Amino acid sequence: MGKRSRRKRLLWRKLRKEEAAPSEAVTAEQPRHEGKKHGFFYETYSKHYKVLMLFTLFLLFASLGFIGIKYAMTGVWINKDISLAGGISITVLSEKDLPLKEVQDFFSGRHTGKEFTVRKFSSGDQKGYIIETGELIEGELRSTAEALFGKLTKEQLSVEIMGSSLGKSFLRETGIALLLAFLFMSIIVLITFRNLVPSLFVILAAFSDIVCTFALTQLLGIKISTAGIAAFIMLIGYSIDTDILLTTRVLKREGGTVLDRTLNAMKTGITMTLTALVATVIGLILSKSSTLSQIFLIITIGLVFDILNTWLQNAGILRWYLEKHGKT
Amino acid sequence: MGKLKAIFTNFRVIILLVVMLLALVAINPAIETKGLLIGGVAMNSSASIAGIQVPNPATAPRSRERVLAINNRPVNTVEEYRAFVTTLEPERSFTIKTTKTLYRLTTKPLLRRTALNETELRTVTEYREENVTTENGTVESRLIPYNVTKEMPKILEEVIGTEDIGLRLYLAPDSNLRKGLDLQGGSRVLMAPEEKVTQDQMDTIIENLKQRLNVFGLSDVVVRQSGDLSGNQYISVEIAGANEEEVKELLGRQGKFESRIKNQTVFRGGEDITYVCRSAECSGIDPQVGCGRAADGATWVCRFQFAITLTPEAARRQADLTRDLEIVSQDGTKYLSEKIDLFLDDQLVDSLNIGADLKGVPTTDIAISGSGVGTTEQEAVTNSLQEMKRLQTILITGSLPVKIGIVKADNISPALGSEFMQNALLIGVLAALAVALIIFFRYRKVAISVGIIFTMFAETWIVLGLAALIGWNLDLAAIAGIIVALGTGVNDQIVITDEIIQGEKASSFISWKQRIKQAFFIIFSAYFATVVAMLPLWFAGAGLLKGFAVTTILAVTIGVLITRPAFAAVVERLLKK
Repeated sequence: MGKRSRRKRLLWRKLRKEEAAPSEAVTAEQPRHEGKKHGFFYETYSKHYKVLMLFTLFLLFASLGFIGIKYAMTGVWINKDISLAGGISITVLSEKDLPLKEVQDFFSGRHTGKEFTVRKFSSGDQKGYIIETGELIEGELRSTAEALFGKLTKEQLSVEIMGSSLGKSFLRETGIALLLAFLFMSIIVLITFRNLVPSLFVILAAFSDIVCTFALTQLLGIKISTAGIAAFIMLIGYSIDTDILLTTRVLKREGGTVLDRTLNAMKTGITMTLTALVATVIGLILSKSSTLSQIFLIITIGLVFDILNTWLQNAGILRWYLEKHGKT
Repeated sequence: MGKLKAIFTNFRVIILLVVMLLALVAINPAIETKGLLIGGVAMNSSASIAGIQVPNPATAPRSRERVLAINNRPVNTVEEYRAFVTTLEPERSFTIKTTKTLYRLTTKPLLRRTALNETELRTVTEYREENVTTENGTVESRLIPYNVTKEMPKILEEVIGTEDIGLRLYLAPDSNLRKGLDLQGGSRVLMAPEEKVTQDQMDTIIENLKQRLNVFGLSDVVVRQSGDLSGNQYISVEIAGANEEEVKELLGRQGKFESRIKNQTVFRGGEDITYVCRSAECSGIDPQVGCGRAADGATWVCRFQFAITLTPEAARRQADLTRDLEIVSQDGTKYLSEKIDLFLDDQLVDSLNIGADLKGVPTTDIAISGSGVGTTEQEAVTNSLQEMKRLQTILITGSLPVKIGIVKADNISPALGSEFMQNALLIGVLAALAVALIIFFRYRKVAISVGIIFTMFAETWIVLGLAALIGWNLDLAAIAGIIVALGTGVNDQIVITDEIIQGEKASSFISWKQRIKQAFFIIFSAYFATVVAMLPLWFAGAGLLKGFAVTTILAVTIGVLITRPAFAAVVERLLKK
């Protein structure tokens, strides 16, 4: 007999007893789910998982398609801000309240042929404008600013200049860093699971996250900065977290069906994503720094896609693969 | 109560608390600091003459020298200091009390010197060699000063004000955390050589730039070499609290070096000097003169010399200017009646004797000599060599091996910087509360929410402690890194909590120890994936994103090794029945 089998039987008995009693709020769900508890969601999720999974794959291809078409039509595949394209940006702290259009027109009027982007920002006691454009001599921009806002002390004016060749090299640099990061991460995933196919699903999910998020940022006309690319790399980390969780729980746990284990993991995973999401949304609303704002925006979008790509795509493909190989 | 005891005696928790205490010591937050921090001391100013030294950037911010009172009146704000400075008249004395000692300063008048066409008889001091018999009976050669009266152009000196005392003061720091440019304000300039340079050349360039910036006497200056994945070379210069214009002015130029005889330019740095010798064959202590005792018998003086090469034009100019000078000869060494003045950026940095053999002769190979003093022979030698090195750098500064251009320049006003910091703190606190709320809704136990918040705080605290310890500058990149780490931290804690809760339920087939193992398996895989994703950033992008990568890696490592295991131990004990 042995101790272990006796323990197993004791556990079995305990399990049966607990099925009768309702679960407390502090616990995770039991291995068997009551159909009526989850209703619509459970029905759809368990029965139509293949459709849901295909939907996310559709999103992925739509994103790739969008990027491809945009490149074919405009020759541009990424909207760049001055940190990647080169240019000059000044931040002016001023009490004056002027409509953005007026500020923009004033600058465009003074420097013909140049495009200006103007943003407002305000916090407790400081208000101001951020004005960006392509290559321009700092002195000229400064005197135009003073013409509009009045004499500016060095406290009221901040300048950021980026040479365009450096910007291009930054894009290449951080792009390479992103690819390398993705590659290294994939290797780690393969080592972790030692199983080629599930690892590929995880990598696919991370890839989908990044591609879909990127496509959406381009659709929204967001200009990516170096911080933005760093945000994409951060996104790799967050995506992987949930996908590793899902795959580990599904592959290494025993007891219950694949579906049960998936739903089990989902509770943990969604909590994880939700906490990150709530933090980045707060950051997005409150942030004054444009660097941090872009990071928060990209991660927020990325996390939303991550929910879809982990629990609909990755979970779906994994389940389909396991059921096909009879490992329910 | 028993649970609390179990929590605090667990060794992981103890390690956590100890590390947090160490962080507290490293950060050294102040409740109230008096005085103003000395940020810079300009060369040859009243402040430096009085003995105030340029602060060493390696010392922790809270341990640096601070000005406490001027003329016994305490000074705590920069406005108070400025108000005092406007009341200064030339040739006045006042005292400055600092955390180290009391200094006595005398203001210098701001002079305008104009050379008139008239000449006058003036007595100047020069040195010559002499053999002297000492008390012991030995014969030594000494450098003896003697006075020479000769015709020199009259110089009209007018006092046009008070020279700045050359002290740059900042608000006293409230902790040992160093704020980077994004949070403190300042200038960041990224430069690149216009052609590929060797490591030696790069070292020379960096030395030059530091020398130029030394003129300001600023302590918080970082000049660093950096590169990127494509092998491009960059030099990054960061100066906290300085104006971007000042910095660009200083760095953007080749460096204006001039030498003049009687106010006429002989040769300029950059174009006229083709080579400055730094090796032992043609530079060092002058073998023919060596070291000797000065006239007062107490100080030692050593002469050094090194070779430079001029262009033929510069050599001709030198010949023209020296042709009409007289030779002043004494036993031993013969010099010309005029000295050659060296100017760096229009500031006189040195005045040297011209060897008599240069009179009227266009030589491209010139030996520049000077001297250094010390209380012992050894000290004199060291000081002489340092003087020589400084002179060489000045001459070399005037001739950078390659032209360097500015590719990126940022100037962040301090007002904006402190905005960012307050903003970051606000976001941090609110985000933490929001996360706590979600945790509470999920687990319905306040203890867990508190635990997670505390762990997040502990992680941030320890990372900041580490940053304070190694003198790491906190900027937006570092903040972003901490955000990433906290995000993964909360994720890990949720994973741990879930595993423990399910273990409690005992409703699965895997033993409880194994569940923890599995939780940490997930955590460590995610950890390695994050670290490895950050590694390429370490080397990419001219080092500007490096801060982000490094902070993230450090913070998640601290999390995985210290704070999260401690959290696991705490939750384990809290939920164990």
